Amino acid sequence: MDQSRRNFCLGVGAATAGAATLPPVPAEAAATRQGGDPAHRWGMVVDVRKCVGCQACTVACIMENDVPENSFRTIVSTYEVTEEGRSGTYMLPRLCNHCEDPPCIPVCPTGATYQRRDGIVVVDNTVCVGCAYCVQACPYDARFINHETQTADKCTFCVHRVEAGLLPACVETCVGGARIFGDLNDPGSTVSALVRDQAPKVLKPEQGTQPRVFYIGLDPKFQGKVDGTPTLWRPSAAAEHDDGYRVDEAHAEPRAAKEHA
Amino acid sequence: MMDTSIVEVINVTREVAWLPWAVQYFFLIGLSVGGLLLSLPGYAFARAGWRKLGRVALLAALTCGLAAPVALLSDLHQPGRFWHFYVVFRPTSWMWWGSIIIPLYVTALLVYGWACLREELHEQGRVDSRLAALYRLAALGGGRDDRLIRTAGLVALAASLLVALYTGSEVAVVRARPLWHTPFLPVQFLATALAGAAGLVLLLNRFAADGDRDVEVRANRLLAAALGAVMLVGALWLALGLSGLEPTHAEALRSVAGSEAWRVTAVWAVAATVLPFAIAVAKPAGTGLLTGLVAVHGAWMFRWTVFIGGQTVPKTGAGFYEYALPAGPDGVLGIVGTAGLWMFLLLAVTAVLPIPRRAAPGMPHPIAAE
Repeated sequence: MDQSRRNFCLGVGAATAGAATLPPVPAEAAATRQGGDPAHRWGMVVDVRKCVGCQACTVACIMENDVPENSFRTIVSTYEVTEEGRSGTYMLPRLCNHCEDPPCIPVCPTGATYQRRDGIVVVDNTVCVGCAYCVQACPYDARFINHETQTADKCTFCVHRVEAGLLPACVETCVGGARIFGDLNDPGSTVSALVRDQAPKVLKPEQGTQPRVFYIGLDPKFQGKVDGTPTLWRPSAAAEHDDGYRVDEAHAEPRAAKEHA
Repeated sequence: MMDTSIVEVINVTREVAWLPWAVQYFFLIGLSVGGLLLSLPGYAFARAGWRKLGRVALLAALTCGLAAPVALLSDLHQPGRFWHFYVVFRPTSWMWWGSIIIPLYVTALLVYGWACLREELHEQGRVDSRLAALYRLAALGGGRDDRLIRTAGLVALAASLLVALYTGSEVAVVRARPLWHTPFLPVQFLATALAGAAGLVLLLNRFAADGDRDVEVRANRLLAAALGAVMLVGALWLALGLSGLEPTHAEALRSVAGSEAWRVTAVWAVAATVLPFAIAVAKPAGTGLLTGLVAVHGAWMFRWTVFIGGQTVPKTGAGFYEYALPAGPDGVLGIVGTAGLWMFLLLAVTAVLPIPRRAAPGMPHPIAAE
């Protein structure tokens, strides 16, 4: 089954043993899963070699999911890397890793955030009290408080689209085909093949979260907290709309602005 | 490191999600627990020499303990949904346990406070005043009952230890933040809470009691002991981090080592601990206002640094997230508002139960023990 954006469909890959050599779901995590079809285990492979940093995924996600200004469910972190006198750009699309053992879930005091049996981590924003404990617990800074709903928000793998047999918006729109989405339970899926053959890496493996977003071509320097000069430009609707001078200030003295504790 | 330089060009800023409200909560609940613990020798264990200090400490415990949950509720982005905590069973979440423990603690504190102050209510009921009947009603027709005070005190002690356990663990379990993820954190929360409570006792002794010199000296000694513990735990944390024996501490240090702001914070914190310690040891009488203020400030600053400072360390990005204290409810207004609520509670309690006057020579002290 080909799960590229051209002919993605549901209802094919029923659960098959040995789809990819991934460790089994921790029993505690498995026991609390609810909803979704356990026949599937949705996952993503990001081939960073193919990412051109166009941020089309960032924008598609915002449009698809009505993400408020200044918030992001996914973004392509972009770095300028200078090595041995040569400079290049490194792109790293970030999103919720839909971990096999997600640290955001046990801390939730209301059960508003939970993992579906197909592995997708979701938030019921009618139950969430907005305590932000999950925001703290996520090692990937993938969660935030949505100030329109005043609840925790995050990437859902576009679960509403997946349920309808569509690809997540970021995958659908990806120009370079850097984002590949599919069923890790299906040994014939592209993601399974890539996980099997390409030995992709995950972010912060030492956290023991077992992410189900894999990266091909992930440089170890970007696997954890990046050690570098902080960002020159951070998207900020408030800075642009309310007091434009802050944008200029940030440009003028990026380091000084960042060092506030 | 190879000759590599990385400049982050585009990344997302994650704003702090635990707001200054959370700082206020952890500050106030810490002072309340500390105040309660300091009140126990005088009341629950009926040690006469501790009684006057105990009354001031009880005032701190009650006022801070009642204001704290309001700050916590305000930290929820959906405060109206707080009842969602109580319709589920979520034993894996320390915050859920907290939602059970807080009402337990506040109830135990109120019962204990009432038991301790019942004698004063009873006395007020004997004064010829229109409110005497109300005081008699509030005293439920009884005076000092040491057995009741002890029982209520032990229950409140247990509840306060649960508060200390849950507040510390709630933050310490967050593996994603190396600055928080250490078993030292609950100990340091408790030690700074005790120091802050001793500091508040020193301040209240001056402004909401009769400025007793013995209370001041005793509170200063307690403060010195608490600050000694703070320094010990802090030094141990630092040593384990610098030596690399504890990788989480080392990672936490690495994450802030390059920041001038964090270095200033560290120097400030050391000064705010060492100075009041030295003063309290060298001159425990007549310095209470100074040591008390610095100690309360130190307890607050520790929590501010842990929560707000901790959240400005990106988990994946380079450098630090910016934080500017907003003027509104999520910032200054929240801090000032919480302080105002505490002040109101202090005025209310001291209006109902006026500061006990120093007993005239030869007269039996109204709350003399044994």
